Amino acid sequence: MKKKLTVLAAVFFAVTLACWFHSPSEFSQSERRQLAQFPEFSAETVLNGQFASEFESYSLDQFPLRDPFRTLKAVTEYGVLQKKDNNDLYLKDGYLSKILYPLSEKSIGNAMDRFRAVYEKYLSDSEGRIFASVIPDKGHYLAADGGWPALDYDRLFELVASEMDYARYVDLTGVLEAEDYYKTDSHWRQEALADAAAALGGAMGIAGDLKKPEEMEVVTAAEDFRGVYYGQAALPLPGEPLRYLTWDGIEDCTVMNYETGETTGIYQLEKLEDRDPYDIFLGGACALMTVENPSAQAAGIDRELILFRDSFGSSMAPLLLPAYSRVTLVDLRYMKSDFLDQFIDFHGQDVLFLYGATLLNESYTLK
Amino acid sequence: MIFSSVPFLYYFFPVVILLSLAVSRRQQDGRRTAGRLTNSILLLASLFFYGYGEPKYLLLMVFSILSAWALGLLVPKSRLAFLVSVAISLGLLGWFKYADFFVESFAAVTGIPAEPLGIALPIGISFYTFQILSYTIDLRRGKITPQRNLIRFAMYVSLFPQLIAGPIVVYKDVEVQLDPYARTMTAESLYEGARRFLVGLGKKVLLANQLGQLAELFAGLDASDRSVAFYWIYAAAFSLQIYFDFSGYSDMAIGLGRMLGFSFPENFNYPYISRSITEFWRRWHMTLGGWFREYVYIPLGGNRVSFGRWVCNLFVVWALTGLWHGAAWTFVVWGLFHGLLLLLEKRWLGRVLAKAPAFAAHAYTLLLVGISMVIFNAASLQEAGEYLLSMFGLGTVSAGSTLTWYYLRSYGLLLVAAIVGATPLPKKIAIRIKERAGRTDFGKKVLEWAEPVILACLLLVVTAYLVDGSFNPFLYFRF
Repeated sequence: MKKKLTVLAAVFFAVTLACWFHSPSEFSQSERRQLAQFPEFSAETVLNGQFASEFESYSLDQFPLRDPFRTLKAVTEYGVLQKKDNNDLYLKDGYLSKILYPLSEKSIGNAMDRFRAVYEKYLSDSEGRIFASVIPDKGHYLAADGGWPALDYDRLFELVASEMDYARYVDLTGVLEAEDYYKTDSHWRQEALADAAAALGGAMGIAGDLKKPEEMEVVTAAEDFRGVYYGQAALPLPGEPLRYLTWDGIEDCTVMNYETGETTGIYQLEKLEDRDPYDIFLGGACALMTVENPSAQAAGIDRELILFRDSFGSSMAPLLLPAYSRVTLVDLRYMKSDFLDQFIDFHGQDVLFLYGATLLNESYTLK
Repeated sequence: MIFSSVPFLYYFFPVVILLSLAVSRRQQDGRRTAGRLTNSILLLASLFFYGYGEPKYLLLMVFSILSAWALGLLVPKSRLAFLVSVAISLGLLGWFKYADFFVESFAAVTGIPAEPLGIALPIGISFYTFQILSYTIDLRRGKITPQRNLIRFAMYVSLFPQLIAGPIVVYKDVEVQLDPYARTMTAESLYEGARRFLVGLGKKVLLANQLGQLAELFAGLDASDRSVAFYWIYAAAFSLQIYFDFSGYSDMAIGLGRMLGFSFPENFNYPYISRSITEFWRRWHMTLGGWFREYVYIPLGGNRVSFGRWVCNLFVVWALTGLWHGAAWTFVVWGLFHGLLLLLEKRWLGRVLAKAPAFAAHAYTLLLVGISMVIFNAASLQEAGEYLLSMFGLGTVSAGSTLTWYYLRSYGLLLVAAIVGATPLPKKIAIRIKERAGRTDFGKKVLEWAEPVILACLLLVVTAYLVDGSFNPFLYFRF
């Protein structure tokens, strides 16, 4: 009996000691978030229960070998219990995808109301051409085969096309496939978007000015990119390349970030070290930015584009840029549309509403 | 604090067990102060455990302990002290648990608008109040003598392993164990307690929590995504969830008690293998059933009264059993439903079931328990009605749906594991393996190492689930 007790006690107290003497970390790279720190200890926080509640978070966030333990749980869920998803993430053919279900018509309606408000205030009197497109999430291409729940995409596209009757709807579903997305991230891969850019360009009448695939160079920014789903899924999956496209003249293009006031280039490779390497595309999330294209200006192209977008737009905008002298990117999650005219002079520019299905289905962050 | 949490497992409990072990050693060495220290450590640990999450209710429990202890000294000779003590216990329970229920019910019945008082339910109040009540009543009955040592009495009420979710321990069953010199912490008790605790922890975290996810997921679906089949899956998932949740917690309590030298009563005995509701209640939450029988049903006259009075007694007991579980009409209806089934079985159905094939009797019991659990978990009587109608195809939902089959496939293995785990089969298999392996020296050696290694792996897997911050409610907290 003593031997049995010794084995059990050894494991138990080893984990206990690790918990007590493990040095806390500030940030989890795999989960891309700040970790809870030891809570404030005072009479007030103890008596109102705040200390207990925050200590619970601290003890979980700072648990020694947290990532391997999370992997153990994920492997148990998939491998032992044969669950089809873990934390709503599923793995199909090496691609991680998040269950996006059900279709929230209320949320779609909210997004449509936000967009219509923009249209009525700024665009209805403008002579600019207006386009809209929905980027399907990876589940559109993966869910059906494995029986995972997925949005009613037909209904989603129908709703957007009919509600945005002031815009020409561009269908991207036929020019995308699962391989066009990162395996461990929600986003699409820029180097795989030639067809999507061509579809948008065709509908917008700018196809002739876009760069052809052979005119662009694929540059690998990182070989070991692990996207947002990697940390959430906690599965032992390999990294994948993070690539971007360049073309002659792109190095002269400038990005003006209205939040920071900084002017940078299109690709910001220093972001590879930040929490989300996908931010190399235009520097990541930003309420308002303008991209100037001197090459187009020199070639006499005076077209301008206003791109209402979410994070998918960051990697698509550089592909549309050759056809425009200036592209203005607006992210309505970070700024109220009421203030747009303080920064943008609406004078007949092309307008594209380009949003991912995920955001439209959870659109309450739109302002 | 709950047992299935990192703060309990890796911060609170190691300190308590190491301190208890250290003092226990000194006690065994014959140092007289060590005995008192053992109880003081356990009491302080229990008060810390209770006050950790909700310090404000610690005062309430301390008041309950002090008043019950002081009045208990007078109860054998004073009817007034008895009545005051019972009134305090029931008054506090009534106020904190049922005041809003009565206000809302009064408003609903009379149509007079009344604002709910918004009183929060102190954790474990139903459990410790029942323990105090049994002590007070047994004192008055002369079955026990007053506990003059306040620390021992406070320990009886607040001992952390069984404080917030039972088993409901009756004073006379643990009176001797409150004496620290009557308890021992041996390698055997520590290992067996740890084994029981880990089995309970596994039941709670790996089965109950996962089944709870399925039940919660169903409850969150739009009506259009539900189907008749999914309603039944939900009924099965919740029935299994509540069993593994509560029996897992009882296992953990019994295991912790064993590690600390206590012997707590069993609370569950494979209720889902029952062949009647009567048998179900002999196997489900046995300490609660025993408490109501001893302190309510028998004092009301039990079955040694006229038929009409007996029926009345039965329904009073079962209405109270329902109310004990929660201050809502769904719980009352759940209790009365069981009361009705017990009445039918005692008068007529029991004889039919006794002669029926075993599978038919099992099916009858599981069906009715499943139905009762749907009532139990419903947010309102209206919701319970809608769920039950839908289960029998009388709602507006389809027979099946893509979503139903998805979740059935995703949770299928878990459901099968839970169903098998709710029977004595795994235990029988483990005993058989032990017997066979024990026939050879090699087998004995493998067994000696295999069991603790398996338990250690179980601890690590459970820890992994806790660390991932998964779904971890505890259903019986609300009682």
